[in-house]
Amino acid sequence: MIGRLRTILSPPAEEDAWGYDPRFVRAFQPFLDVLYDRWWRVTATGAEHVPSAGRALIAANHAGVVPWDGAMIGTAVRRHVGRDARALVLNWAFELPWASTAIRRGGGVPASPANARRLLDEDHLVMVFPEGAKGISKPYSDRYRLERFGRGGFVATALRTGAPIIPCAVVGSEEIHPKIAEAPGVAKLLGMPYLPITPTFPLLGPLGAVPLPSRWRIEFCPPVDLSAYGPDAASDRRLVLELSDAIREQIQAKVYENLIKREGAFL
Amino acid sequence: MGGPDPARRILITGVANFWGVGLARALLADPEVEQVVGVDTRTPPRDVAEGITWIAADLRVQELRTAIRAAAVDAIVHTDIPQFPEPGRAARQLHDLTVMGTLQLLAAAGDLPTLRTLVVRGSASIYGSEAAAPAFLTEEMTLQPGATRFQRDLGEIEKLVDGLARRRRDVTCTVLRLQPVIGVRLDNPITRLLRAPVVPVMLGFDPRVQVLHEDDSIAVLHHALRNPVAGAVNVAGPGTISLNAAIRRMGRPAVPVPHPLFGAVAGAARRFGLPPLSEDTIRYLRYGRGVALERMTNELGFTPRYDTPGAIDAVAAELRKADVA
Repeated sequence: MIGRLRTILSPPAEEDAWGYDPRFVRAFQPFLDVLYDRWWRVTATGAEHVPSAGRALIAANHAGVVPWDGAMIGTAVRRHVGRDARALVLNWAFELPWASTAIRRGGGVPASPANARRLLDEDHLVMVFPEGAKGISKPYSDRYRLERFGRGGFVATALRTGAPIIPCAVVGSEEIHPKIAEAPGVAKLLGMPYLPITPTFPLLGPLGAVPLPSRWRIEFCPPVDLSAYGPDAASDRRLVLELSDAIREQIQAKVYENLIKREGAFL
Repeated sequence: MGGPDPARRILITGVANFWGVGLARALLADPEVEQVVGVDTRTPPRDVAEGITWIAADLRVQELRTAIRAAAVDAIVHTDIPQFPEPGRAARQLHDLTVMGTLQLLAAAGDLPTLRTLVVRGSASIYGSEAAAPAFLTEEMTLQPGATRFQRDLGEIEKLVDGLARRRRDVTCTVLRLQPVIGVRLDNPITRLLRAPVVPVMLGFDPRVQVLHEDDSIAVLHHALRNPVAGAVNVAGPGTISLNAAIRRMGRPAVPVPHPLFGAVAGAARRFGLPPLSEDTIRYLRYGRGVALERMTNELGFTPRYDTPGAIDAVAAELRKADVA
């Protein structure tokens, strides 16, 4: 325990050029394991679709105000596939003390086409949330309805690099911080992309930051191989949007399917 | 590549600074070089001053034009650009020295019929330090206009070089964008910071940094003179290292300061012998910077002797030796 804390608190002893620190990930993992096994009781299926080597892009739905979904998908991949997914993270997180460092040491990078492309060219497994901040900040009443997938940048990157896309559906993340309202004025003042109001936050203060113990399911779908289109197809706007919509619909359908399979949201 | 004949008559600006002296010594030992002309208001060390033709002038004076023309040089290496804005020098004065000096130099170079090669020691500071910047910035990713005065100055200098490259198709213009150069012989805000008894860092931030060893920074100037490529090229030791890991390898204690207070604390610490920090350096300490090195490796064909962690270790070892002595 002391050793782990020391690893987490001291500068990286081994890191790659991206700043990813495998020892930090291992030291942090027991905490994520408790959340995975005891708190959210995650059931992961379809992990055999995630390749154990070579480039691939996991595209998942995003929800829950605080991006725990990324950490849980990452844990599922580490357990069942034995590799670390590199997450494309909302740029704003890199302005923050501690969070910026922890995300980077955990393998996260600022979400940009340049970073995504380079990671895939280096044959990494990359995790992306195409809904971005819109997904994570949506109100509880809109739960499990996927937001727009923007301009489909993740599809363009997959086409350019020849990486297969693995659609991934997450159920459970929407209940951890049910957002009932927002405080845009305060958010603007603090320079935050959004400031959520949930039944427990800010009412219970720091306790409100504890996520609710919903029951989770994560399903990885078979890889969508786009290599037949060739890298030049990345500049074909219509094709990119069509593929992006098709993947969005597939994830949406899998989210509904897993909602039914889950039965109770909390018990 | 084949390329043009190697440069024989070379002009170095800033010949009394670290890079000017280092390059002049390398060129004086190079049998292919006929003449080295150096410009600087400061006096170069004796061995250099004796070997070269030294013009004791500022880049901004008109006499420089006639002097350059008389020397009939075929290559110019422009090293007289600060790598960091030195706080304590007014921004306007710095702008005057760097941008106006370069303007005058390139104007003189533009109608020099013998000129074939221009190498500019630029800086990767042109990219600034941004939280959301790509982890490996490629040469076309400069943001214009830059966030700080110094970034804008560097942008202006590169624009002037582009202008010359367009006007004179027969001149190969290379801008080397150096990441911070570290070494025991060199004095700049980063080396001074790493050598300070305690190093202030920002609480909760541990940026990726990328550096170039001082020996490599001179070697790359010499290399670019022999193998010029058109345009900007990033130069750094491969790899990156997080700032706190670098400070630990240096054997210095890091003192975390909350980032909103950093400017004030760094200012107060000046009284205790800590170096003053510019806005550019403060942003660098918060967000760091990494650059892509494909152009350096594939087009310039330069391989640094030290990668980034290796450069840190080499400097740490030299510092320990100096501390013991």
